[in-house]
Amino acid sequence: MIIRREDLFLFFNRCISEKIDNYEEILLPKKNNKKDEAQFSFIKYNNDKKIEYDLESFRTIDPIKTFFYLSRENVSSTNIHSKKRIIAGIKACDLKALNILDKALINEDFIDPAYKNLRDNTLIISTDCNQITDSCHCNLVGGKPYAESNYDINLSKVNNNDYYYIVAGSEKGKKFIDTIKDHVAVNDAPNDVVSLVEENRKDIFNKLEKENKEFYHTDNFKELKNKNEKLWIENSEACVGCGACTNICPTCYCFILNDETEAEKFVKVRSYDSCQYHGYARVAGGDSPRAKMHQRFRNRYLCKFSYFDSNFDEIGCVGCGRCIDACAAEIDFRKVVKELS
Amino acid sequence: MKNPFEVIPGKIFEIIQESPLIKTLRIRPEKSIKFKTGQFVELSIPGIGEGPFTPSSSHFVSNTMDITIMKTGFVTDHVHELQVGDRVGIRGPYGKGYPIEKFKNKDVVIMGGGVGLAPTRSLFLTLIDEVDNYKSITFLGGAKTPKDFIYKDAISKWRKIDRVNFLRTVDLVPEDQKWDENTGVVTTLLEKIDIDPKNNPSVVCGPPIMMKFGTFALKDYGFTDENIYLSMEKKMYCGFGECRHCVIGKYYACKDGPVFTYEMIKNEEAIWE
Repeated sequence: MIIRREDLFLFFNRCISEKIDNYEEILLPKKNNKKDEAQFSFIKYNNDKKIEYDLESFRTIDPIKTFFYLSRENVSSTNIHSKKRIIAGIKACDLKALNILDKALINEDFIDPAYKNLRDNTLIISTDCNQITDSCHCNLVGGKPYAESNYDINLSKVNNNDYYYIVAGSEKGKKFIDTIKDHVAVNDAPNDVVSLVEENRKDIFNKLEKENKEFYHTDNFKELKNKNEKLWIENSEACVGCGACTNICPTCYCFILNDETEAEKFVKVRSYDSCQYHGYARVAGGDSPRAKMHQRFRNRYLCKFSYFDSNFDEIGCVGCGRCIDACAAEIDFRKVVKELS
Repeated sequence: MKNPFEVIPGKIFEIIQESPLIKTLRIRPEKSIKFKTGQFVELSIPGIGEGPFTPSSSHFVSNTMDITIMKTGFVTDHVHELQVGDRVGIRGPYGKGYPIEKFKNKDVVIMGGGVGLAPTRSLFLTLIDEVDNYKSITFLGGAKTPKDFIYKDAISKWRKIDRVNFLRTVDLVPEDQKWDENTGVVTTLLEKIDIDPKNNPSVVCGPPIMMKFGTFALKDYGFTDENIYLSMEKKMYCGFGECRHCVIGKYYACKDGPVFTYEMIKNEEAIWE
């Protein structure tokens, strides 16, 4: 099926003004025009014509975790009810990350109530990447620049066509496409659409392969653990331990828990923490298993490629490249992985 | 949906000064808390913070809980200022405790040092509650000086129990203190016992340096890696495998531990630090 871009936005307008299916909020990537290159970040959709929404270029600056796993949250509250919302324009790398967070935060041992609530109340509309940015490297970690699973609805835009190829990926998505049909036209796809989408996907993937040629590595990351200390010291020399890489990583979810209790109620507040910080693993009395910067630097790589793999059956890097963009010391994650694995 | 961060409030009804730096808080929680010996709880002081502690009382007692705490950091400094009647919070219990069902009809050796005597006291009290279930219980306790020994008052009572052998040692005896038991590090007590290490369990809990050399000494004595149980102390915020601070390679100290066999973790990184 296909939906015209114009109609999709018409639907978005009606959706929030009429609270269709109780959806009250839509988050979409907005284009921020920087001098040298485009950047995207999620904002709450409104019908302001001056805002340029861009669903199909490449991933946003902000990782999707920031909308499900908030940087600071009162976790003691027993009465959590978030608004129903739609997030559209999520890219495959972020969906992969969300899938990892689902395993980490909703499992047989415990359920993080705040995360689950936001997860349950959100409809996920993913879109194929039609462009890549310098740090994109999902192809190096087994990813694709288009979603293969974990979405409710996926949209693929082809070349300069003014419509999206629309596919449901869940029961929830299927029902919602029916809802969309009640309001705007969703038509049968022309015969050639599927092959055009395939072709486009292949093109973007080939671009990624070309751009990341120098970083090519296997999926055997076991060597990371065995490399000698000297190499880790060399590779981490420029690192100042600011924690930007972990904060912006869509799969990092380490937190500290603070007590903000007042009066009779015990209140626990969780906030992002970073394994790059000196105090991260320090115990009472002052001992730390990773007192030196290069040990903490190394920990991040081992966590992504070894510990996540043991804990969740998949590695913790989705190849979004945000840590590369965020690094004040311009350390390229891909380069370190290549040199040490 | 159960909130894993839920706190059970409680009140302190007694405080025992065990040594200059160690106190035992006796707490009565509003709801009784059932735990398995070796499991831990998060104890919080309202508005200050919380920390992971292993109860030092028997797991057959659930309406009160003893927690023995050394003054050694921000939260524990505040713990030592608490008074009888003060309100605290408890989350948990978390993790896996000692598999005491595997200890049945065995000669059990427990090695504890410093404040590491606290979790081992819980184990010891739990075992002596059903002492007939075990062939023997040997306790090897260590402290820096005689003054640093905790649970002094109970020792003579414990020593009278049939099947129990309770040995103590101190690293050194300052001139102004008296001591007529063993002198030397805790592992020297292994020379004073005669137990067949084959198929019998041993437990070690104490400061990092003692964990390391205690484990090696138990190995040398002949205990197998599967039969050496370690109580691992790591930084733990959540207690149930979410915050990741306590990760030991593929394991979470909070969820998969804090009690591990040496066999499980011997190949993981930085276990002694």
